[in-house]
Amino acid sequence: MTTGFKSTLMEILDGSPKHTASRYVELAITLVVLVNCSAVILDSVPEVHAEFKDFFHELEFWSVMFFTVEYFARVWSLGAKYDRDNGGSWKGRFQYMFSPFGLVDFFATMPHYMHMFFPALDLRILRVLRLLRILKLSKYNTALQDLFHAIHSERQAFGSAVFLLTIATIVSASLMHFAEGHQQPQFFGTIPHSIYWSIVTITSGYGNVEPMTKAGEAIALITGFLGVCMAAIMTGIVASAFSNQVARKKAAFEAQLREVFSDGNMSEEEKETLKRLQAHYRLSDEQVEAMMLRAKNKSSANE
Amino acid sequence: MTTAAAPNYTSLQRIKRRTFEIMEGEVPDKYSHFVEVFIALLVVANVIGIILESVPEIHEAFMHEFHAFDVFSVAVFSVEFVLRVWSYSEKYIHSGGTAWDGRKEYVFSFYGIIDFVSTVPFYLQLLMPGADLRVLRMFRLMRIFKLSRYNSAFEDMVAAVKAEKDSFSSAVFLLFISCLLFSSLIYIIEGHEQPEIFPSIPAAMHWFVITIVSGWGNVDPVTFLGSLLVILTQILSIALAAILTGVVATAYTAQVERRQALYEMEVRSALADGVVTDEEQAKLKMMQAKLGMSDEQVESIKHQMEEEKHISAANKQA
Repeated sequence: MTTGFKSTLMEILDGSPKHTASRYVELAITLVVLVNCSAVILDSVPEVHAEFKDFFHELEFWSVMFFTVEYFARVWSLGAKYDRDNGGSWKGRFQYMFSPFGLVDFFATMPHYMHMFFPALDLRILRVLRLLRILKLSKYNTALQDLFHAIHSERQAFGSAVFLLTIATIVSASLMHFAEGHQQPQFFGTIPHSIYWSIVTITSGYGNVEPMTKAGEAIALITGFLGVCMAAIMTGIVASAFSNQVARKKAAFEAQLREVFSDGNMSEEEKETLKRLQAHYRLSDEQVEAMMLRAKNKSSANE
Repeated sequence: MTTAAAPNYTSLQRIKRRTFEIMEGEVPDKYSHFVEVFIALLVVANVIGIILESVPEIHEAFMHEFHAFDVFSVAVFSVEFVLRVWSYSEKYIHSGGTAWDGRKEYVFSFYGIIDFVSTVPFYLQLLMPGADLRVLRMFRLMRIFKLSRYNSAFEDMVAAVKAEKDSFSSAVFLLFISCLLFSSLIYIIEGHEQPEIFPSIPAAMHWFVITIVSGWGNVDPVTFLGSLLVILTQILSIALAAILTGVVATAYTAQVERRQALYEMEVRSALADGVVTDEEQAKLKMMQAKLGMSDEQVESIKHQMEEEKHISAANKQA
């Protein structure tokens, strides 16, 4: 009986569409996280803090309780992920505990118990950790996961861009140091100083320091232009990474569709799977419709 | 590895051949990997050294260490350069060229010039101790470009620009024309009102370039037409950024597709005989690393291949 409950709980917490309860759990967690974040923001306004101090304190206490229950429910129920032959109950638990989500869940909650035992702890750290709770939302938002995935799959390209950026920064900073180091030692006296200038120029544009020599002027302009190029490269990579990602998802979904149509008819269960996949891949109904038509045609052509 | 192909080599030629292979790094082996990592680390250490040396306190405290390190680096880079020149005679010797073809190609290539220019000025300083130190440091800084031999970022960029050279050149043309037009116009319109800022068309061009790069040229227009021109220039600067972004994105996507096509061809030829041997597997692995493709991409290509095979088999049955 417990194992049945355990795996049901796991599915609910995992957001499986099988149970209606998973929607409510998702909604509740999202709501508590949003209330928490608003509280952190409002709490930083001195007037609000003075007036609602006790309320915020109370809220914090109950939120920590809530998230603690959530954390332990997750850890406990994930014991059902792998059965005894596949690594036992602790495999699933450790997998969660050391996943990014598990770490976020842990650090957004547990340090507050430390505060109860050691009241002298720096409160600012706690506040920063409290803001981590907003990352809990990313579990329910595939867009953020998409972004991470896209960046991960294009890490080579990003690495190249960072390499170019590093070289551009160091070269322009050093050249500026050679050109203007004597004229404006407060800005370009050492290369580390000019690296700061060069990063500012590349990221936010030309113009924070007026160059005094002709060579310095030229270097500053080129550095500013490099900044524009760098932004273009980054945007270009992200844009194409995203569109590649969408293409990959479509391909995966289409493969699934073809599998479904290979035996000619679509069972209820398969329909359910496809629905879930569609939600997971965030494909619109029109896209799915078009793909289905194509898959149907193909399978009938093969016959 | 290739030494086996030419058994009538003298031992010196064999050494030369090996040196070439190690330096060129085309064939994966552990010596060439070692040389690559060693030179890359030395270059990084050099760049960090140049940066730190510019801080007066650090320079004073570690003057001798910096000097010793520079001497060591120059020695290593000189040996590297000489070995490259010597061994690159092997490059075209088997395809009908002379020994000097490969050498000439290396010496006048981007990397050859960088290797030379970043090392040799040190010797000049020994001969002429009075030379300007800043110029020397600038040449030393060139060592950073040695790194790009081991990272395809630069080559990718050049390839992308080349592939999209029409779009790039039209963007540059547009910029050039608008620079001439706008700076002449602003000189005519505002030159009388603000002669200290727009005394000539070249000065107005300077203003134009700053506006394009940073979005604001530090000049407040006085006339109505002048403000109109400033606004137009700013819009142009946004448009230019957009054009650049679009061109880069297209170029990048095209490159990814090109790589995928290359890899697909290789997979197809590996699968042609039905089995993938260990050798083919290793070749594919190397190709994947060289083309910088992620495992997911490779997976999806393989998947597609299997799918195709499936379909063709089904068609055959039908």
